[in-house]
Amino acid sequence: MENILPPIELHVCMGLNSCQHQGYSGKNACAGMGDCATVLHPCHTVNECKGQGGCGLFGTTEEFCIPSQNECRYQGSCGAPILDSRFVTQGPNRGTSVWQLARKRFEQKRAASQLPVGPPPAGPYGPSNAYINQLKGQDPAYDNAMCGQSGSKECSYAADPKARAEAAQQRVRQMVEESARRMPDILKNCSCVEH
Amino acid sequence: MMPHKLFAIPPVVTPANFAEVMQQAIALELATIPTYLSTYYSILRAQDQDDLYAKLLKQLAAAPGASEVDITQLAQELKVDILVYANKAAALIMSVAIEEMLHMALVCNIKQAIVGPPDLLSINKVLVFPTQLDGHEPEFTINAAKLSLAQLATFLQIESPQPFKDPADPRELLQAVKYKTIGQLYLDIQQCIRVNYPGPYADRPQLTSSSPSSARHRPYYAQNSINTVYYDREHKPQFGGSSDSGHLVGIVDAHSAVKAIDEIMDQGEGNTKDDQSLLHFGPDKMPIPLPVVDGKVQFKSGDYDDKSKEELSHFAKFLELYSLGVHYQQKFARIGGLADFFSYFVHDQAPNPKQADYEVVGTPAGLALASRLGNAIFTYILLMIEACYYADEDTQFRVFMYGVHKSMIWLLSGVGNSIRGYSYAKGTQTYAGALTFEYFDFANYAGNTLLTPKEQILGLVEELAAADAPHWGWMTLPENSVYWPSLPDVRLDHRVAPYVPAIPA
Repeated sequence: MENILPPIELHVCMGLNSCQHQGYSGKNACAGMGDCATVLHPCHTVNECKGQGGCGLFGTTEEFCIPSQNECRYQGSCGAPILDSRFVTQGPNRGTSVWQLARKRFEQKRAASQLPVGPPPAGPYGPSNAYINQLKGQDPAYDNAMCGQSGSKECSYAADPKARAEAAQQRVRQMVEESARRMPDILKNCSCVEH
Repeated sequence: MMPHKLFAIPPVVTPANFAEVMQQAIALELATIPTYLSTYYSILRAQDQDDLYAKLLKQLAAAPGASEVDITQLAQELKVDILVYANKAAALIMSVAIEEMLHMALVCNIKQAIVGPPDLLSINKVLVFPTQLDGHEPEFTINAAKLSLAQLATFLQIESPQPFKDPADPRELLQAVKYKTIGQLYLDIQQCIRVNYPGPYADRPQLTSSSPSSARHRPYYAQNSINTVYYDREHKPQFGGSSDSGHLVGIVDAHSAVKAIDEIMDQGEGNTKDDQSLLHFGPDKMPIPLPVVDGKVQFKSGDYDDKSKEELSHFAKFLELYSLGVHYQQKFARIGGLADFFSYFVHDQAPNPKQADYEVVGTPAGLALASRLGNAIFTYILLMIEACYYADEDTQFRVFMYGVHKSMIWLLSGVGNSIRGYSYAKGTQTYAGALTFEYFDFANYAGNTLLTPKEQILGLVEELAAADAPHWGWMTLPENSVYWPSLPDVRLDHRVAPYVPAIPA
């Protein structure tokens, strides 16, 4: 693994960085193309700074509508990085992708400032567990999903490990594709909550 | 051990006893929290499924008669039975515990609005397990205990929507005697409020949110979290509570006070409806379970606390767990070679453990210290909640979110889960450690009257980290200062000391 530059900007996940060379590896050419989170924290109320809260696992319906957009320290919900498998657990958007909503919020913020944003390196649905392990040179079996005391989120009960992985991937795939289709409704639900 | 009587449900509620009755209602809601959390922390929610499968396979193979194909399929089925039930039981118990916290806050708001702030520490002082709701008819004992059918039977008695007959008293099976439930107490409180306290009430701090249209809207309460999620047999997430099953209500007059109590009764105690499942006891003096068909419990329309039938009432949730528990316990008992169903995922914790049990010579030092820390953080949570009723909204928000939320989700939970890793001897038995939920006397701990509650907590953290570094050393690492050191600094007189955490460079 090549040297990783010290992060300049602290952000919660792949594709949510503001500037060039501010992803985990420092090699991204543009905003929105950062390869991984530059902060790592397990959950609700334990983030260090503004904009470092992930979302989906603990928090209010309102907080879940603004993943990584929290105003202040300790006001983020949930762990960073945000894997593709993470789903919102509370409110009308429960069961849908946290990463996709965070990405959409990021794009809205950039657009509001008339700033460009590039495509996320791991694709439109967010980083998988395998992506993060490969990027960080970790054991492929390492589980980056935090707050695991409620059972692994990226799992199935199949007896055969290969079948288990395939079943889990298929289930996550269904969730992220469904979330992409429902994004207009997800944003509308948040709009209702915010007003 | 003789149960400790917590308080008396009064025969009538009047202005003369209203303040005391509200304290009793707060005590009732507060008592359910350590009761349910004790059981929650006994459950192993997410064990290694391959290890479990191997264990089941080995047990099945040792029993004569079954073919290899049969036992591999059977082991897989039993594995999923265990994993799904364990996670579901934990999720549903946590969903009820969270709603009890909401109920406690609502009752605290009512008391604050009408007669003055709640006193939670005095309840903490007298809440000793086993306990009884004195005056509840029939009386029954409440233990802080691991998950079992007996413990679920107790939960059913707590949440029973209608009066039930005491299975232990043969006289009551023969005579028609008038009984009281918690719901009837709340009806009496509502009536007293309507007649004597129409409002408007004085503007005092409450735990509530300003309206969503307000620029100051910062909600405190969330019904669901990852801890109320469980996975079905296809590993699809299921949610323990509906999306909008309750809210904090600002109490300004009789209408809002009555509405808040309606919310409590709709979700839990006193949810009386037509066509609902009720608590009946069988000849074995245990509740009669609901039928289980194709692995699913058969409910009635009145078992739900919302029109969309998304969420079961507290009673129905526990009845579901009880019915499934009976179903699986009988299933496992019929199959040769297997252990008791609950033994696969429930830590063997002693009922009503005490700090004194952990101070016995020969017991690991970490266990006594972890228990003390657990008690300190639980009492501190109650102190922080009390402080919210004396503070401006900004201070209240900081204390509640960064103190109470952090403490419940991370600190108390962390100790509650980790303490299970210790074992100790009591009599001839060996048990796993468990939180004791005893009152922590910050005013007089170790004779110290100078240190603040937070300083005492941090002192315990350091002591525990030093005594058992492999398990607790992480707590004192600088990079983990977001946990214990960043707690708000709340004093015993409810002042919140200014505290600005350092921002990393």
